[in-house]
Amino acid sequence: MSSIAERMAAAGTGNAIELRGVSRMFGALRALTDITLSVRPGERRAVLGSNGAGKTTLLNCVTGDFPPTSGTVRFFGEDVTLLPPHERIRRGLRRTYQISLLFPRLTVRDNVYLACRGVSRSRFSLIRARASDPIMQSVADLISLVHLEDVTDRLVGELAHGQQRQLEIALALAGAPRFILFDEPAAGLSPNERRDLVAILTALPAHIGYIIIEHDMDVALRVVESVTMMHNGRIFKEGSPQEIEADPEVQQLYLGGGHG
Amino acid sequence: MALAETTRETPLGVGEAQRGGEFGRWVSRHALILLLGVFMMIFPAIANDFFLRQIAGWTMILGMIALSLMFLGGYGGMVSLAQMTVAGVAGYMIAVLGVSSLPKVSFFWPWWVAAPLAIVIAVAFGTLAGALSARTEGIYTIMITLALATSFFYLALQNWPIFNGFNGFTTIPAPHFFGVKWGDPVPLYYMILFFAALSYVVVLYVSRSPFGLALQGVRDNPRRMEAIGYNVTAHRIAAYAFAAVIAAIGGILLVWQNNQISPFSVDVAVVINLLVIAVVGGLGHPIGPFIGAFIYVMLRTFALDALVAVGLDGRRFQTLIGLGFLVIVLFSPDGVVGLWRRWVTRVGATNGRSGR
Amino acid sequence: MATIFDNEQRTETATGGDAFGRWIGRHPVWALIIAVAVIFVLWLVLAPWPAGFEQVFGKKLIFINALFNGITLGGLYFLVAAGFTLIFGLMRNVNLAHGSLYLFGGYMGYEATQWTGSWLFSYVIAFLSCAVVGVAMQFFIFRRMEGQDLRQTLVTLGLSIVFSDLMVWVWGGNAIQIDTPDYLDGPVGMPIVVFVKSNGEAFYLHYPAVRLVIFAAAVVIGVGMWLALNRTRIGVMIRAGVDDRDMLSVLGYRVQLLFVVVFAFGAGLAGMAGIVGGTFQSLSLGEDSHFLLASLVVVIVGGMGSIPGAAIGALIIALSEQIGTVYFQNYSTVLSFLIMVIVLALRPQGLLGRR
Repeated sequence: MSSIAERMAAAGTGNAIELRGVSRMFGALRALTDITLSVRPGERRAVLGSNGAGKTTLLNCVTGDFPPTSGTVRFFGEDVTLLPPHERIRRGLRRTYQISLLFPRLTVRDNVYLACRGVSRSRFSLIRARASDPIMQSVADLISLVHLEDVTDRLVGELAHGQQRQLEIALALAGAPRFILFDEPAAGLSPNERRDLVAILTALPAHIGYIIIEHDMDVALRVVESVTMMHNGRIFKEGSPQEIEADPEVQQLYLGGGHG
Repeated sequence: MALAETTRETPLGVGEAQRGGEFGRWVSRHALILLLGVFMMIFPAIANDFFLRQIAGWTMILGMIALSLMFLGGYGGMVSLAQMTVAGVAGYMIAVLGVSSLPKVSFFWPWWVAAPLAIVIAVAFGTLAGALSARTEGIYTIMITLALATSFFYLALQNWPIFNGFNGFTTIPAPHFFGVKWGDPVPLYYMILFFAALSYVVVLYVSRSPFGLALQGVRDNPRRMEAIGYNVTAHRIAAYAFAAVIAAIGGILLVWQNNQISPFSVDVAVVINLLVIAVVGGLGHPIGPFIGAFIYVMLRTFALDALVAVGLDGRRFQTLIGLGFLVIVLFSPDGVVGLWRRWVTRVGATNGRSGR
Repeated sequence: MATIFDNEQRTETATGGDAFGRWIGRHPVWALIIAVAVIFVLWLVLAPWPAGFEQVFGKKLIFINALFNGITLGGLYFLVAAGFTLIFGLMRNVNLAHGSLYLFGGYMGYEATQWTGSWLFSYVIAFLSCAVVGVAMQFFIFRRMEGQDLRQTLVTLGLSIVFSDLMVWVWGGNAIQIDTPDYLDGPVGMPIVVFVKSNGEAFYLHYPAVRLVIFAAAVVIGVGMWLALNRTRIGVMIRAGVDDRDMLSVLGYRVQLLFVVVFAFGAGLAGMAGIVGGTFQSLSLGEDSHFLLASLVVVIVGGMGSIPGAAIGALIIALSEQIGTVYFQNYSTVLSFLIMVIVLALRPQGLLGRR
């Protein structure tokens, strides 16, 4: 792994993700309270916490799926708080979903193709892509990266759960991502598939940072260099994986008594 | 509900490009549609004017307008009832801007000014309908577009200065250029055939283009589309604009064929029948609307005699249409195209088994 | 904000005066504008118009008539749209056969008045016959395709085609009018001065009694629905179902009963509205789509699934139609169309609708 300083140099200045005082209400329910969080370019961070701690809501605020009720979100120095999701995606932000959100009536190839097109200029083109189009090469590369070559022309609705999870990741890697949010990518995967997932994550180019939400500590702590603990919609502790694992309070709360 | 059969063509047309040289294979894969094309080309030689106008002409025109509905519904998941109205707006504009029996209302501009302008206005209307319903989803689209369509019917009915109210417009001639009287049965037939075939091919082609694929993505999962960089609302509105072009051309042809247009060309029954045509034919493939239109036109033309022949009241044609529609919706949601596909799969499976 | 009367609104009525005062405090400009508008409308209605004013805007009688026609027509639209929006809110079923139910109810009511001579009794017949059709639709068809919104809607569309054709078969294409009963026939004097003769004698408005009575009945039904939804067990269940559809699964098998009851009630309401329509106007081929359109626009403007929304939407649309017919003859439908477009552009969920 390259050093953090190198990665920062590669990705430009400013923090990749910067949240200031972000809160999110659902009616009278407070899902996030005054979150302040910064992640450097190229940094890989896990967000941990029990169910209902507000982890997925945090991702939704970053991507704009649900905008925050108050506070600001910056992406590589730019204030994106009021931008719709697709504008943030075009700036290099990506995400995966906890429950696969795919296009079940299209083939695997078309799914990945859409993701590659989404961040290119010719989204509205009426002209079909030729086989020689460079985008077709990246589609094929992404499909083989997640080991779905055998099912390229199958409809996504017919795929097994594990394959859908893999495709979910391929969609997030399409285009030229600068930062990715993974929402429980290992959920429902077999041990083999988990190994593949860890391999894919660690093999990502150094300039791509990510935030990963994961219940499986084996996966989470192996692929990150920093950890944020959340509890009841607040940030409760930050540190390196070793510090967090060693922290008695954390152990008592999460790691000791069956996290989940 | 799976209104649209899943698209299972060669993905992205890659396969086709690679097989470009294998002309024979291509022909065999498209044998049915090519056969139909040849038949349509020589149809005027074997059919009389009645069949050219009342059967073939109506089928292709209604098929085109229903195709615009199918494009939105099948690929975009937006069942718009405003497409007949878009055609009606284009038809009315041809009458208002061009030539009719009403010198006080019509502008009498030449067809090559009136027709493009009519298309532009109709597309603007179709895009507006899209903009209004694109932010809502599913059944809301039906409600809003039906309300728009019905509003337009009442506007045309009550407004005399522009739409000439109840009476509408009559004796609107088809144009006359290149030395051809396009209003004559055979030239008119070929003109309609040209545009119907063109719109069919274009829709089929566009369905595998980035725009068409993205539309299918929007149908399957709008939220994910946002999350991979698409502006879903803009895409939907663009789809409405695209579909409106097809409907508008259909509307102009409709007027040139009938030489008249009135509020009853766009009333609720017509608007609903168009949906019936598209759904009965099938929203899964662009050929569906034409099949649906053919069934509808045949029923409309011959149901009276057929009903009387079996001892029923010939005037109950609409009941027959409604019941037929219900049967399709209840038992084969993907229409005749779906039935056909299932039959082909079953026959294929049986053959495979017996061959083994 | 509110779908069907949420709690917020109820607490506000509890401390009504207080909340009102606070609202004025928060929106002084709006409060002023609304106050001026209310005073102006009151002046338009109550005061005799000055000659110059009449020259510009036409006779006061015409305006007052359009206003009263609009308000009473609003009552009719509400009766039709309330059932439509209730069925939609609870079952996500856009019942495109709602207009057919309206027309069917009207025809059945007509038959009932012919046989029995009782106008009031005909409402019972219309309600029951439409409710039976509604129960049949829910029980035999929609129960089997729950959760498939679009397919249900297509089925209602097919049914509307068949119903409409069958009704033409039975009752023909000509307009039928239901006679106003003797005790409601003719106009009643209203304490509103329409004009003052040169000798100083005031001329008061005379307005058809039947329309006023029916409007009052619509208000009573509206308030009754409000009370039923807020004060009864079944009403609480319906409200909860509209707000949170997952809640419905908790009810288990009883949810079907709830659906059938609501469908029957909504259909029956449309049927009773048919008699009102047949008395106000007439029943004929095409009225089904007219009232389907009215329900659609009312519900789109007022907010899908909201009963107060249906009331406000009905009033707005009916007034705009009547005022439009008088003042912009050729474009009267454009007015309600424009209202719909503006609402959709600014508040796609409708005035009182909730996402």
